[in-house]
Amino acid sequence: MTAPTHDPLTLSLSVNGETHDVRVPARKLLSDVLRDDLGLTGTHVGCEHGVCGACTVLIDGRPARACLTFAAQMEGHEVTTVEATGRPDALSALQQALHEEHGLQCGFCTPGIVVTFEHYLRENPDPTAEEVRDVLSGNLCRCTGYQNIVAAVLKAAARMRGEAA
Amino acid sequence: MSGDFTEIGRALPRKEDRRLVSGRGRYLDDLAFPGALHVSFVRSPHAHARILDIDSAEAAEMPGVVGIFTGRDLDQMTTRLRLAPPIEGLQPTELTTLPIDKVRFHGDPVVCVVATDRYLAEDAAECVSVEYDQLPAVTSITEAFAPDAALVDDSLTSNMVSHQSLCVGDPAARRAEAHRVVEARFSLHRHTHVPLETRGCVADWDDGRAHLNMHIGNQVPHPLRSQLAARLGLSESQVTVMSPDVGGAFGQKIALYREELTVAALSRHLRRPVRWREDRMENLMSAAHAREYECRTRASVSETGRILGLELEIDEDFGGYCFYPANYMARVIALIMTGPYRIQDYAYEVRVALTNKCGAGPMRAPMAITSWVMEGTIDAIARDLGLDPVEVRRINALGPEDLPYKMPTGELLEDVSPRETLEIAVDVIDVAAFRARQAQARAEGRYLGLGLCTVIESTTYGSEFYKSAGIPGSGHESAWVRIEPSGAVNASVGLMGTGQGYESPLSQAVAEGLGVRSEDVTVHMGNTDIAPYGMGSRGGRGATAGGGTLYLCALKARERVLAIAASMLDLNDAGGLRMRAGQIERMIGDDWQGTGLALVDIARRAYLDPLALPEGIAPGLDFSHSYDPPAMTYSNSTHACEVEVDPQTGAITIDRYLVAEDSGTVLNPIVVRGQQQGAIAMGLSGALLEQVIYDGTGQNLSATLADYLVASPNELPKFEILHHNTPNRRTPAGIKGMAEGGVMGAIGVLANAVSDALAPRGVTIERLPLTPQSIRALLREAAPSSTKRTQP
Ligand code: FES
Ligand code: FES
Repeated sequence: MTAPTHDPLTLSLSVNGETHDVRVPARKLLSDVLRDDLGLTGTHVGCEHGVCGACTVLIDGRPARACLTFAAQMEGHEVTTVEATGRPDALSALQQALHEEHGLQCGFCTPGIVVTFEHYLRENPDPTAEEVRDVLSGNLCRCTGYQNIVAAVLKAAARMRGEAA
Repeated sequence: MSGDFTEIGRALPRKEDRRLVSGRGRYLDDLAFPGALHVSFVRSPHAHARILDIDSAEAAEMPGVVGIFTGRDLDQMTTRLRLAPPIEGLQPTELTTLPIDKVRFHGDPVVCVVATDRYLAEDAAECVSVEYDQLPAVTSITEAFAPDAALVDDSLTSNMVSHQSLCVGDPAARRAEAHRVVEARFSLHRHTHVPLETRGCVADWDDGRAHLNMHIGNQVPHPLRSQLAARLGLSESQVTVMSPDVGGAFGQKIALYREELTVAALSRHLRRPVRWREDRMENLMSAAHAREYECRTRASVSETGRILGLELEIDEDFGGYCFYPANYMARVIALIMTGPYRIQDYAYEVRVALTNKCGAGPMRAPMAITSWVMEGTIDAIARDLGLDPVEVRRINALGPEDLPYKMPTGELLEDVSPRETLEIAVDVIDVAAFRARQAQARAEGRYLGLGLCTVIESTTYGSEFYKSAGIPGSGHESAWVRIEPSGAVNASVGLMGTGQGYESPLSQAVAEGLGVRSEDVTVHMGNTDIAPYGMGSRGGRGATAGGGTLYLCALKARERVLAIAASMLDLNDAGGLRMRAGQIERMIGDDWQGTGLALVDIARRAYLDPLALPEGIAPGLDFSHSYDPPAMTYSNSTHACEVEVDPQTGAITIDRYLVAEDSGTVLNPIVVRGQQQGAIAMGLSGALLEQVIYDGTGQNLSATLADYLVASPNELPKFEILHHNTPNRRTPAGIKGMAEGGVMGAIGVLANAVSDALAPRGVTIERLPLTPQSIRALLREAAPSSTKRTQP
C-alpha cells in the first residue's frame, strides 16, 4: 500500500510583526511551527489538547491555543508570542511583577500566563483578585498554587494604571 | 544564630526568573539537534497480556521510518534492571528494557519506532500491529492478594512483592489495659505527578569519541549517569548527563525510565542523535503513579485520650513494575507515623502489592498519607471519647521537655516544635470563635468544619539512614567553589533543580560562607562533567545537603582567602580579618574597617603572582568539600483550615487556610514561601480532584487533563503562613530543609475539616478524593431514608 504523503505547503506567516515564509505539512500545528520552524521556543506545549494553556499565543490580538490551531490556518492573520513581550534585561511591567512576587517556579506555564494577562490587562486595567483568578483558571500551573501569580497580576495592573505598587 | 547572617535569609528574588518569564528558558525541547531522529512508542492497549507476535513490515516501509525496535532488540543492546537489595521480606525483581513476553499495564511500551520526524514516527507507530493473548488483570490490592490471583510478575512467588513488620514495646498489653481501643481507616487514591513539562530526552552518541551525551531533565544527574552507563555497558567516563531547565518533576524525574534507556541505546546503535518527548496521554498513563494506600490504625487510649499504644497496617498498590525497591515509600510512612506524638508502644505491618497498573514512584511527599493517618486517628479518638480534638492533641504532643525524642522506630527528633506550631495554629485560627460560628451555622442547616493537622516532615536522609534501611547508597552531597583570576565566584553542587529556584538560595549559602554578595556568585548544576558526584534532588534535601555542603566549602575558601589577605597586609594571622561583600575588613578597636584589599586582589595574587603567596599555600583558589548530613533532619508544621460543605451539591469551599511552620534556618524566604504554597496546593488538589482511574479490566480512564483534574485557582484558597523557625543545631547554619510537608498537611487537614463539617450527618471521611460525587454518595449512605426527597 502507498503510505500517505504529506506534501508541504508554502505559507506566509506574520508573527510578532515579521513575515516568515515556511514550507510545512498542512497538518503541522501552529505550536510546532512556531517552535521548530521559527525558533520561537517560548511558546510551550504542555498537553496538546487545549487544557493547560502553556501554548497560549495571540491571534489577531486575542488569546488562543496554538496547540489547537494549524499553522496553515494562520495565513492572513497576525500571531503574537511571548517573545514580543519584554526581554530578560527589559521585562514588561507584568513580567517584572511576576519576578518580584515569585509568581513562577519551573516557568513552563509562565509564557502562556504572560501572553494571557498582557492582553487581559489592556482590556481590564483594574481587575479584582476574583476576576484574575477566573481568567487564570485557563492556565494550569503545577508549581505555585497560583497565589503569587494573582498578586503579581494585581501589582502589574496597579503599576500600569500609574499607581505606586 | 540566624541573626548573624548577612546573605542567608535575604529575600532575594530568583536568578532564574528573567530568562523564564521572558520565554528565553532552555527546556529540553528548545534545544536544537540538526539531523536528530524522533521516536514514538507503540503501547499496550491491554492491562495484562502475552505478546504473541509483532508485525512491523508495513510500518517499516512508511515515509521517514529509520527503524523499528522491539524488546528483543533492546535486550541485545542493554542489560536488565535487577533490584535485589538485601532487605528482608522484599522479593528481588528483574526487568528488561522493553517487555519481551508480556505486558503488565495499559500503556506499557512495546515497540519503539524511529523516524526522521515526530509526525511520521507517530504515523508508523499506528501501523505496527501487535498480537496479544489477554490475561486476567489484577486491578486492586484485594485482587492481588487473593489466593488464585494471576501473577503480575511471573518470576515471583506471589504478588506480595514486599512484606515487613515491626513491634516495639508491648502494644498488645497496652490494648488489654486500655480504656478504649479506637480503630480508623484511611484509603488514599492513586495520583500522578503532572509536571507541566512531560518526560523527554535527547541522546546524542558521539561515535568518534565513543561517548554518550544525554540531555534530559532529571533530578539526580549523577545517579542517572551511573545507571545509564551500567545498563549500556559503558564506563562512567563515557556518559555525560546534562539537565537543561526543567518544567517540574515532583519525583517523576528520578528513575532511569525504560523509554529513556531505549532512546540512549538507539542513538548509539544508529549513530545519530535521537530524541523523545512523551505526549500528555503517555505521561498520565505510563510515566509513574503514586500514593495508592490502604491504612488501618488501632489506638489504645486512656480516658483522657492519651495514646498508650498504636498499631498500624499499610497496604500499597505498587503497580506493575518496580523502578524502586517496593518497600521504599511505605517504609518511611511506617517509620515516622507517630511523628509529633509521645508514643512508645508501636507495631506496624506493611504489605506491597504488584498490580496491572503503571508502576509507582515517589511523588512530592512520598510519605504524604502519614499525617492524615495520624491526625485522623487523633480525631477518631476525640470522637469516640467525646473529647475536644485540640485537647487530645495537646495531651499527646511532644513539647520542648521531651526533646531530643527517640521515636519507637529509633528515629531521632531534635530541634522540632510540634506543640508550639499547634498552639500557634489553634490561637490564630481562633478555634473557640470558630466553634461558635459553626454552632450558629448548624442551626441554619449549614455545614462548617475545622481541621487541624500537625506534620513531622522527614527532609534530609543521611548515609546513616540508608545503612539502617539496608539500602546500598549514600546521603552525602559534594560541592566545589572556585574563585577565578578576576575574582568571579563559581560554584557547583550535585543537586539539580526542576523549578524550585535553587540558583538564588544556593548562591546565598556560598556568599554567606565566603563573604561576598549573593549576586556575585554563580552556581552551576545539572552537568555531570562540571558538577561533583552528588545524590541529586529528592525529598527535602536541597537546602541541608546542597546548601549545607556549599556553605561548608565556601567557609574553606574564606579561610584561604583571609590567610592570603593577612600575608598581603603583613599580619601574623587572619584572626582580626573578615570579608564582607568581597572587601577585606579588619577589626580595629571595636570596629570593622576597610583595608583597601578586595577579593580581586587576593585572586590576582593567587593566580598571577603565586610565588608571593605565604609558605605552604598552593597557587589558585579552588576548593571542594563533601558533607554527610545526620541520619535524618526534620521540619514540622501545623495546618488549620475551615471549610463549608454544601450538602445539596457536595461542593467543598475552603474558607480559610493557615499553616504554622518550623523549617529551621531559611536560606531564602521568598523561595521557601513559594515551596510551602506549591506543596499545599498539590496536597489540596490531590485531596479534592485528582484521581487516576482504572476500570475493572485495567483500562486507564484518566489519560487527559480533562479527566485527570488538577486544581485551578478557583479551587484553591489564599494561604496564610506563620513562621516559627528554630535552627537545627547539628546541621551547617541550622538548615533543616522543607518542600514536602505542605502536601502532608494539606491532605490531612482537609479530610479532618470535612469530617468535622459532616459530623452531624454521621459522616467520617475515610477515603479520598473528596469530589462532589463522593461527598453526595457519603451523605446518601449515612442517612438513606431521612434525606430522600419526597415527591409532592
Ligand atoms: S499545550 Fe495547548 S493547551 Fe496545553
Ligand atoms: S511554574 Fe511550574 S507549572 Fe507554573
